[in-house]
Amino acid sequence: MEGQGRFRRLWNVIVKYRAIYFLLLPGLIWYLMFAIAPLSGLQLAFKTYKANLGIFGSPFTGWANFRRVFHDVNFWNAIRQTLLINVVRLIVTFPFPILMAILFNEMRFHKVKNPLQVVFTLPHFLSWVIIASIFNNLLSFDGFVNNIIASLGLERVKIVGSTSAFMPLLYYTDIWRTAGWNTIVYLAAITDIEMEQYEAAEIDGATRFQMITHVTIPSIRGTIIIMFILATGNIMTAGFNQVFNMSNAAVRSVAETLDMYIYRITFQAAPDFGFSMAITLFRSVINMLLLLVADRGSKMMGGNGLFSMNQSA
Amino acid sequence: MKKKTENYSKSKIMGIDVVLLIILVFLALQVVIPLVHVIAMSFSTQKEYLDTPLLLVPVRPTLDAYRALFADGRIWIGYRSTLTLVLLGVPVNMLLTTTLAYALSRGNFPGRKALMYLIVFTMLFQGGIIPLYLIMKTYKLIDSFWSCVFATGINTFYMILMMNYFSGIPIALVESARIEGAGEWRILGQIVLPLSLPILATVGLYYVSDRWNEWYNPMIFINSTGKTVLQLVLRNIVNDTKQAEDFVYEGMKELPFTSGVKMAAVVMTMLPVMCVFPFLQKYFIKGMRVGAVKG
Repeated sequence: MEGQGRFRRLWNVIVKYRAIYFLLLPGLIWYLMFAIAPLSGLQLAFKTYKANLGIFGSPFTGWANFRRVFHDVNFWNAIRQTLLINVVRLIVTFPFPILMAILFNEMRFHKVKNPLQVVFTLPHFLSWVIIASIFNNLLSFDGFVNNIIASLGLERVKIVGSTSAFMPLLYYTDIWRTAGWNTIVYLAAITDIEMEQYEAAEIDGATRFQMITHVTIPSIRGTIIIMFILATGNIMTAGFNQVFNMSNAAVRSVAETLDMYIYRITFQAAPDFGFSMAITLFRSVINMLLLLVADRGSKMMGGNGLFSMNQSA
Repeated sequence: MKKKTENYSKSKIMGIDVVLLIILVFLALQVVIPLVHVIAMSFSTQKEYLDTPLLLVPVRPTLDAYRALFADGRIWIGYRSTLTLVLLGVPVNMLLTTTLAYALSRGNFPGRKALMYLIVFTMLFQGGIIPLYLIMKTYKLIDSFWSCVFATGINTFYMILMMNYFSGIPIALVESARIEGAGEWRILGQIVLPLSLPILATVGLYYVSDRWNEWYNPMIFINSTGKTVLQLVLRNIVNDTKQAEDFVYEGMKELPFTSGVKMAAVVMTMLPVMCVFPFLQKYFIKGMRVGAVKG
């Protein structure tokens, strides 16, 4: 009898919220079919994939794939290269939008601000395919940049296809594409600073530089820290699109990040899905832990975290 | 609204402002010059390119590179495929995103929390391309545009952006409508959506731009050459080792300039973005500001 009452109550709830449940149905079905269902493929990490037997029918081999992964030299090289590229990337590229936001805010020629912002934010909407095409051309041996070098009477340098130039090239193009866009976040934070703070500083006789270091930067410190923590959450995955398009066979030794390695072994002539899946699963777990730490960290700093679910912005 | 900082920088101009302007213009030129050079190359002859080391404006512009590119034909396949992907994909994106964001913004109905956890989990934990490929095979979507359409059906960040915007709509408006007897559908159609046009425009533009730039999923899921998307066509043209002799077209006077043809492909691929972006920039930026991290 009690069970029946519960069903009745549940039914009443569904009827009451029927419009909402109906509205969320398409989205829910999408998540189940295209975000959750694929995860069933992860079991391949513990199996030897046989195309004729399918995912579920393939023989179970326990941790064998993982043992092979952890004994794979290329795997460890890829991990090292991923961390190297992305840690240096964070250090090199992170401060840039902050500096640009401060410069932009200080600059008093207001008529040029809007055109400048169009220029700075546009590259964010160009794909890495386009950007790689542009820079591979520009930096080629007889390209624009080398023409400048040559016209200054210097020797032409090999930039595209050089292993030592590859990482700097990644950072330069990363700044080229994203710095202007990320500036918006800091400019929004600067706009929220109250005018009185600057007026008070002015009365105290602060120079403009002192206003930057004593008012502007302290006021956006929270935003800076949160952006930094969030960026660290992506350290395992950052830059795949970029590296994929900017690299070529000549620079593979420095360009093979974990995602690049997974791509190469997955789409080679005779793929070993079990092995690829084991690496992918390992990567996904590490990445989830990093994101959770980043999320917790940004919340501790008073931010919304990665998944600001209940705030109105 | 608080008194904003913009006033702070309205005071008199000093020498340092000129320095700042020069620095910013120098940075802007680093964005502009590569683009201008690429466009100039696409309009120049090989001779002019070789004679002008720092080519920014071709003196004798020519359309030969474009003629060769159009005669080659792949670029049109790319345009057709990418337009198909945009026209199929963006409506699906918007429908799925708007309905879910609205439902989730409407208070604490039973099951909301569980659904939230499910969504956050999909952001935290991603299985990568192989499971997605295998599931597309199961659904028999391989080599169909629908595989790409559904692979990125909802961008969770955009969904949250929209949800937060919907939650920010004054509850009084919704409540008074409800008292007057409006159902959930009328509230959505007549109150929430009209008030949400800015966020709908912003998220819609993000989806259009993402679809336009899409290449990875199409590269994995679609294998017919007739369905190659624009970005991949560009990749092929730029990376292929075709010589000038391969780009032959009717009425050709001299062999085309291969690098010029490649850059013409770059220009054709970024043309819509460059034409549309400056006019819609404020909508693009709005989303970033609304979603900006609060310190």
